[in-house]
Amino acid sequence: MTLALLWFKGLLARHPARLVGAMFGVALTVALLASIGAFIAGSAASMTKRAIAAVPVDWQIQLNPGTDPQKVVAAITKATAYTALEQVGYADVVSLSATVGGTTQSTGAGKVLGLSPRYRQLFPAQLRPLIGPLDGVLVAQQTAANLHVTLGDSVTIERQGLPTVTVQVAGVADLPNSDSLFQAIGVPPGSAPQAPPDNVLILPAAQWHQLFDPQATAHPDSIYTQLHVQIAHTLPSSPGAAYTYVQALAHNVEAQIAGSATVGDNLAAQLDAARADALYAQVLFLFLGLPGIALGVLLTMAVAASGATRRRLEQALLRTRGTSIAQIIRLASSEALIVGGGGIALGVLLAYLAATFVAPAGAMQSTTSLWWTLAAALTGLVVALVAVLVPAWSQARSNTVASARAIVGRGVTPLWQRIYLDVILLIIAAVVFWRTASTGYQVVLAPEGVAASSVAYETFLAPLCLWLGGALLAMRLWRGGLLRGRAALTALLRPIAHGLAGMVAAALQRQRALITRGVVLVALAFSFAISTAAFNTTYNAQSRVDAQLTNGADVTVTAPAAAGLETRLAQLKALPGAGSVVAMQHRFAYVGNDLQDIFGIDAVHIGAATTMSNAFFGSGNAPATLQALAATPDGVLVAAETVKDFQLMPGDILNLRLQNARDHQYHMIPFHFIGIVREFPTAPKDSFLVANASYIAQQTGSAAAEVILMQAKSDPTALASSARTVVASLSGSKVSDLGTTQRAISSSLTAVDLHGLTQLELLFAVLLVAAATGLIMALGLAERRRIFAVLQALGAKRGQLGAFLWSEGLLILAGGALIGTVIGFGVAQMLVKLLTNVFDPPPEALAIPWTYLVVVAAAAIASTIVAILSAQATARRPVVEALRDI
Amino acid sequence: MSQIHVPTENSSIQAQTAQRMRAGTSPDKRSGLMLADAQQVGRTYPTGNGSSSNQVPALVSATCQIMASDRIALVGPSGSGKSTLLHLLGGLDVPTSGTINWPALGGRETLRPSRIAFVFQMPSLIAPLSVVENVEVPLLLGKASADEARAAALDALERIELRSIADKLPEELSGGQAQRVAVARALAYQPALILADEPTGQLDRPTAQHLFDVLLNALAGTPTALVVATHDLQIAERLETMWHMHHGILEVSA
Repeated sequence: MTLALLWFKGLLARHPARLVGAMFGVALTVALLASIGAFIAGSAASMTKRAIAAVPVDWQIQLNPGTDPQKVVAAITKATAYTALEQVGYADVVSLSATVGGTTQSTGAGKVLGLSPRYRQLFPAQLRPLIGPLDGVLVAQQTAANLHVTLGDSVTIERQGLPTVTVQVAGVADLPNSDSLFQAIGVPPGSAPQAPPDNVLILPAAQWHQLFDPQATAHPDSIYTQLHVQIAHTLPSSPGAAYTYVQALAHNVEAQIAGSATVGDNLAAQLDAARADALYAQVLFLFLGLPGIALGVLLTMAVAASGATRRRLEQALLRTRGTSIAQIIRLASSEALIVGGGGIALGVLLAYLAATFVAPAGAMQSTTSLWWTLAAALTGLVVALVAVLVPAWSQARSNTVASARAIVGRGVTPLWQRIYLDVILLIIAAVVFWRTASTGYQVVLAPEGVAASSVAYETFLAPLCLWLGGALLAMRLWRGGLLRGRAALTALLRPIAHGLAGMVAAALQRQRALITRGVVLVALAFSFAISTAAFNTTYNAQSRVDAQLTNGADVTVTAPAAAGLETRLAQLKALPGAGSVVAMQHRFAYVGNDLQDIFGIDAVHIGAATTMSNAFFGSGNAPATLQALAATPDGVLVAAETVKDFQLMPGDILNLRLQNARDHQYHMIPFHFIGIVREFPTAPKDSFLVANASYIAQQTGSAAAEVILMQAKSDPTALASSARTVVASLSGSKVSDLGTTQRAISSSLTAVDLHGLTQLELLFAVLLVAAATGLIMALGLAERRRIFAVLQALGAKRGQLGAFLWSEGLLILAGGALIGTVIGFGVAQMLVKLLTNVFDPPPEALAIPWTYLVVVAAAAIASTIVAILSAQATARRPVVEALRDI
Repeated sequence: MSQIHVPTENSSIQAQTAQRMRAGTSPDKRSGLMLADAQQVGRTYPTGNGSSSNQVPALVSATCQIMASDRIALVGPSGSGKSTLLHLLGGLDVPTSGTINWPALGGRETLRPSRIAFVFQMPSLIAPLSVVENVEVPLLLGKASADEARAAALDALERIELRSIADKLPEELSGGQAQRVAVARALAYQPALILADEPTGQLDRPTAQHLFDVLLNALAGTPTALVVATHDLQIAERLETMWHMHHGILEVSA
């Protein structure tokens, strides 16, 4: 015990840097791992929250004819607490018609909903008022357009088997969630989706009962009732667990009501989608973080290794004074425990601070996070034991001092090099990547409606093997280069080392094991920083493209055709902070009997206002497709599904029916099919069309623009705010900005807040690069001190000693940065490819994080300079003092 | 024995010394060029607590001169101040009392690597450099060209019969070989003065004797002065002059 205390005291007094350095390495490892855990737990919880928030109605329980609603309510009450429960009546009608301005418009079959007055308060996301109040008879926006009705107009409802009735329009409303509102309840998962009805009227519940209770008697199959329920959201934090829990609740209700009603579980469906995203996020976090953790381990081991020479001497002294190997191991164990304990404490503290300032709120408090922290602590302890105890044990057992000395010499080729481990790892990377590519990069498997989900973790062997294999290959090549390229090295170092270049090159060549280790450590740090930054930048850029796709542009202004939005174009263009601003038409066109959105664009200029990704078009080439559209005035881009349905070939004439501004009737207009469009800003996920705005204006008699896309030079939110003031007086106008849309998207993984984790990782990466570049000077400190002492005794001047240090520093920094950059971009490219399904649309190329690269390079250079200057400072001591190191 | 011309300031000193020897003045060496002149030099070191008031004397007083071609043994027990005196004579350290000058060699800053060479007790070869590269080091530090340094280094190795191991690394050498290489390194620049601090201290007697034979043979007929600190009297007695150190005080005798 006394010996252990003495040893510890000695360590603290004589080698505090070694002790603190190793602790720092362990701390980094623990902090990164615990932070990743906190982020995984936090992001899963926030995904669950977001998924829940995005559901307008948790359950739509459809009652079979004759079922007593009260029995179902009782079953729901027994199964779970709820915060809202309303009865909604659905009636199928033969048609709706209206006579306005002397002309009569009729629609096809429609739906009439009966909603209680409380419904819009309890389910506010279901109805959005456009014109007029939400009380009384409401017409859905599209129906109002079809019937040309507005406030005060009358709409005639043709009921099934009953005389027509007329109601007066009190308001026009948008049904933002019409897909789920009119979904077919009880259809098996995977069935073809049912399009929401085009013609919808909403009546107050009392009026609905008055008009449709007789139809229920005459045609019971044309009337049905749903209970819309919002359950109490005391759910497990992870989307997977929440999904299972919610599904079990719904099953419980169904079991109680024994077939008299069917639960449409919107909440479970939403959580189901979030489940896959959560798994992707977990995978993403792990694979962005793992290299950093590996680097932390390597750094710890490198710090511990830097004390190998001194440890050997200390052990030799202890052995000669009769200390047994067991006692030496016990001393080393105590050192490892101190390093481990201190590192773990510091690491957990760092993780806590990181979680407090960067992670989602409460990320560190969850049980999942606690398990991660424990696992991180255990890893830290293992790292400390491996880094400190194992070398001590192997040195203690080593009989010859010379055998442990591997810094210099002709040395044997390492085992990995003899068995070509680098090549094997690269082949594994290539094979795994090829296999994943052949499955369409299906990394996460979470079949819809099935509780079980899986992540093909083996996929990530590809970047991992590329990272390790690349590093080992670099090691092989660097060692080979140093071995054979002394002449080139001499020439390279001459500007720094002048007349000593040959000698310095010889020394570096002989120290190739040490130098290569340094180069690879720096390369790994660089590659971690670069791959994380490149992935992060690409991810953010794609997230922006994704949000732009949904929002339309940085700022998008919309208004009904009659509002005259195009009259404000000049004002919007003149707003401070506005970049390119273009108008776009958003009309509707019949393709056969199918009503589709049609976008009239300025094909030449739209690309300046919003992103026109290659992935948007069937040709895979946005500029060429837009150029072709601009060159074909009556050209039209059509969804792939429509092309298939109508067997279209390029150049075919496609007759569309569009509403004419003069007579409000739909007239046939010929277009030429010129290409396929897959996605387009503001366009719906299903079929739509894109054509030239000038042609649509000419053919329909209206140049009105329903959408204005604005590029923001700086903050989109500020620009949106200014735009709102410009269009405030336009009836039905709406302004949305990128940031708001980005936050609102919850179904896509690109909405996962990687920001915190990547910020943290980028910070860690800079620290790791700085630590690695600085550490290389410490790796051979004992040996270097001896060399300096000899050189000083022989009469070397300060500048001549510097030649050794600067040459070594430059070689390691430049080599590490070069190799690290190549590996980093390779890994980032592979990660982006593997995670293709995360992106919508997939990125066309890696985004280069120039600013961050400059910061990393600056940190590495600064760290190297500081390390070299510190090493030079040791050479400034009196020669007599230096002689003690000989 | 071939002479390698290394173009340095030292050449003029060697030329003067050689001229003097050819003129038959060598028997009276004390009247030759004075390489070092120490007057009442002393050196104290602060104790572990760094206090300036607590100084430990390593060298109390030493007065001596070293002339060209001198062969001097500096003997005395361990801790008597031999190494300290050598360090002061070689300009590695500065005296805390007294004065020391190098009349024929110039100022302290110009002594190494060309004019004064050291041979240390511990193996002092640079691990990542081969034998010949180690020998080249002082020449390259002295701004010799790579070719000149290589030629001089190989010649020095030849003179001490180590040409065959020129490409070996220090870790591949025996202790005796390593010290012989250190001697070759000291000889390579043809310095005016070689200061050897217990050069045979870690060698067995036959190896030590052999090393000394090699050193003396290599210096035979050259104007280079040699001062060897040793507590091995058999070694010391082979030199013409013996200086004694006792408790930090130097006694100079013929």
